Amino acid sequence: MKVSDYNTIMHRQLNRRGLLKGAASVGAIAAVSSVTTAVPFSAAHAQSDLRAQILKIPGVGQGSPTDADWQKVGEMCLGPTKERVAEGEFEGVELTFMGLNNQNLHNFLFRGFLKPWEAYTGAKINWVDLAQADYNPRLQQAIATGTVDFDIIEMGAPFEGDTAGKGLLDEMPEWVEEQIDAEDLVSYLKPPVGTWDGKKYRVTIDGDCHTFAYRTDYFGDGAIGGASVPKTWQDVNAASKALIGKEDPLTGLPAHGYLDPLKGWGGFGFYFLENRAAAYAKHPDDPAWLFDPDTMKPRVNNPAWVQAIQDVLDLIEAGAYPADQINADPGTTGFQQFLAGTGSMLMWWGDIGSSARTSDTSVVGDVVGFGINPGSDRVYNSKSGAWEETYNEAPNMAYLGWGVYVTKRVSGDEKKRKAAWSAAAHLGGKDISLWMSAYPSGFQPYRNSHFQFDEWEAAGYDRAYIEDYLGSNADSYNHPNAAIEPRIPGIFQYYSVAEDELAKGYAGQYGSAQEIGDAIAAAWEKITDQIGRDNQIKLYKASLGL
Amino acid sequence: MSSEGDRLHVVTADDISEQRKRFGKLLVWGSAGLLALIAVLQAADQNGWLELGFTSWRPTLYAYIFWGICLCASQVITRGEHGKRTLFVLPATLFVVSMVVFPLLFGLVIAFSDWNLASPDGRKFNGIDNLRQMWNDPFYWNALRNMVWYTLAIIVEYAIAFGLALLLNAEIRARKFFRVAFLLPLMLSPVAVSWMIGKSMLENRFGPVARLLRELGVDNPSFFSSPEIAQLMIMLMDAWTYIPFMMIMILAGLQAIPRELNEAARVDGAGPWTQFWEVTFPLMLPVSITAILIRIIFKLKLADIIINVTSGGPGGATDSVTSFIFREYRDRSNVGYGTLLAIVYLVIIVIAMTLLIKAADRWMRPRY
Repeated sequence: MKVSDYNTIMHRQLNRRGLLKGAASVGAIAAVSSVTTAVPFSAAHAQSDLRAQILKIPGVGQGSPTDADWQKVGEMCLGPTKERVAEGEFEGVELTFMGLNNQNLHNFLFRGFLKPWEAYTGAKINWVDLAQADYNPRLQQAIATGTVDFDIIEMGAPFEGDTAGKGLLDEMPEWVEEQIDAEDLVSYLKPPVGTWDGKKYRVTIDGDCHTFAYRTDYFGDGAIGGASVPKTWQDVNAASKALIGKEDPLTGLPAHGYLDPLKGWGGFGFYFLENRAAAYAKHPDDPAWLFDPDTMKPRVNNPAWVQAIQDVLDLIEAGAYPADQINADPGTTGFQQFLAGTGSMLMWWGDIGSSARTSDTSVVGDVVGFGINPGSDRVYNSKSGAWEETYNEAPNMAYLGWGVYVTKRVSGDEKKRKAAWSAAAHLGGKDISLWMSAYPSGFQPYRNSHFQFDEWEAAGYDRAYIEDYLGSNADSYNHPNAAIEPRIPGIFQYYSVAEDELAKGYAGQYGSAQEIGDAIAAAWEKITDQIGRDNQIKLYKASLGL
Repeated sequence: MSSEGDRLHVVTADDISEQRKRFGKLLVWGSAGLLALIAVLQAADQNGWLELGFTSWRPTLYAYIFWGICLCASQVITRGEHGKRTLFVLPATLFVVSMVVFPLLFGLVIAFSDWNLASPDGRKFNGIDNLRQMWNDPFYWNALRNMVWYTLAIIVEYAIAFGLALLLNAEIRARKFFRVAFLLPLMLSPVAVSWMIGKSMLENRFGPVARLLRELGVDNPSFFSSPEIAQLMIMLMDAWTYIPFMMIMILAGLQAIPRELNEAARVDGAGPWTQFWEVTFPLMLPVSITAILIRIIFKLKLADIIINVTSGGPGGATDSVTSFIFREYRDRSNVGYGTLLAIVYLVIIVIAMTLLIKAADRWMRPRY
């Protein structure tokens, strides 16, 4: 679980229940705990007992877990490893693991989880810790200069094109798939994500998607935003325009509707135009929506994308955004605007809605609701080149979450290879992943089994909150028409250059939405030519599973 | 060996044998040959002509260091005391060559290459394609045009810095306190300035500046919405950080002016303005020119505030060349084109600064 989410839940629960109730629940959990430990284990219940037990380390609301807790969880979840690896089997094996050190999580947790694994198997792991900002340059330089110096890597799926596409990764053995119970992954993280040319490479440890956050005090009977929460982007724009000149019920300042970030964010800002475009451009019969898979011709200037750009231009023209919106990046729209009571609708990753309840500057904690990406009354069919007047929705799986991958460096040495995959499988195990999704880890839930709300409730979580918040994630993850990120080399280059052109467009330097789309398309064509069109076509198709 | 006629006194007149000289030369050429051999072998291995199993370029580096040591040693072996003098400079020269000249040459090679880190084909020589692309790149020319405005703002910064320096040089109360206080912005990182001022104080809804303006009757104060105001705000933040730097240099210059000169002028009947214009200002010209030139160099590197506050927006209005290159290089991994832009910018800076120094020199001369 992302730290902010955890803090939010804790904060909210303390608010809701009060100290006495909190103490009572701790007592209850303790009582349940003593009962469960007293009952003899049966094979049928061993699994659920283990899950219940690890969720008590250190205990929901008992402060942040420490290295000792991570090690304890790692130790308790060693069962699947022990089934496949003999004690001391990897004696003498040394592996290098490259990952992040964001918020003292990621690699910090992995170290703790893998310590008992190292003690049992005899392998030794050397760690390369990177800050988020250094990650991409370090990875790209290692690839470009042929100096891949790590055996295991924590990596986002968008980089699979840069690594698997260049033959730098080791194919995942079948036993790993069994050990991690890959069938349990939510739909969108199943192949083709994690695969390349039909081969599997990824042990998933995280999930990501954009969800819709809205102000509950703006919508409802007699509310200023209308009787119901906007369901489509057409509704979103209509509501945003209708709110012009009204007063925010919470802050008394001017009311605003949807908050589009109009400034770039190192490529990540493009996801936010994608949210709008997904509803128009992601046709259920076509996995592709950014490029034509046969030619890599950009679709960003087709009528669907142009409509998305036009929507934003319309709101600029109408004066529906807060002042200075042209200088608002996604961080601003999320943390400085929405949480601070400006605007009533927002698309963001999971952490924004929940930060509503813990951030000192947040005023919307009690008036925030969640949903999936709004849909559209019509969808563009790229194949027929015509709009279809039918309802369409397509949640944007923006960034595909982190995974653990093994590099080719170990391929020649079977013992080392097995050790590397065993370490990766340990981190991506079904039970350990429940702990990671329930406690601060930097990772979001990503398995169907993570959405068994009874487990969360038994562990001490507030059921209503978990259902509302995690429910929006689950609905997005499992949506049949989810818009999946193309895992092609240089995908963030496309996003970054698009941000530059959009910034010009939003500043009024192009004559129309079509011209903006054309300028982005021209820039994308250049990048495709530079990286190599044929290769990009091949890799794009592979990434879409075509 | 005779040291007669030498401007430096050499205590020992060396008598170096031909054999020793030959050994010295052999050392240099032998090590140079070894360096060339290893470099060629590595290049062959790198290009796949030979399979020698080199995993890194370290052997060539070690051969270069060995050659450098041999070169230094041979100076003493072949030239004795004179050679020892050379050793005061030679290691530093070799170091500079390795750390500046080589990378610059490699940079040139990269600048004329098509090298996108995401491309599976790696670096490809592409002649002057990058130059052509630059010529047609509106983002680059826009950034260059912005730099002209940013640089012109230095004139105003200089006038303010001069005024502050005159104030701090005068007999005012709490002079020491003000000197330290005025220096504080310079001690702040531009990134801190970006967040404290650009992102917090100038935040259009909750920022104190916006609140004040709202109190004063401005409806929707915004500081980065229109291109002109956004550019002005960037200039102001940058000026606030660096005016103290110019001020402190000018203040040091002012303190170096002998008091007698102004006193003599006063005796001759000069008023405060005449004293400033005819005595202080001309005497301050060398310091002023130095301060302005250094400030221009700082200004041409302006990027951090822009990257943090506006990302070059709205619509490229605040983009600087460096912030644009940052996006091209970091966000788009376009190493070849990014390097070319940086090198062209370097050439422009070198030419502009040389012309400026020459012009300043000519302009200053008649004043003395």
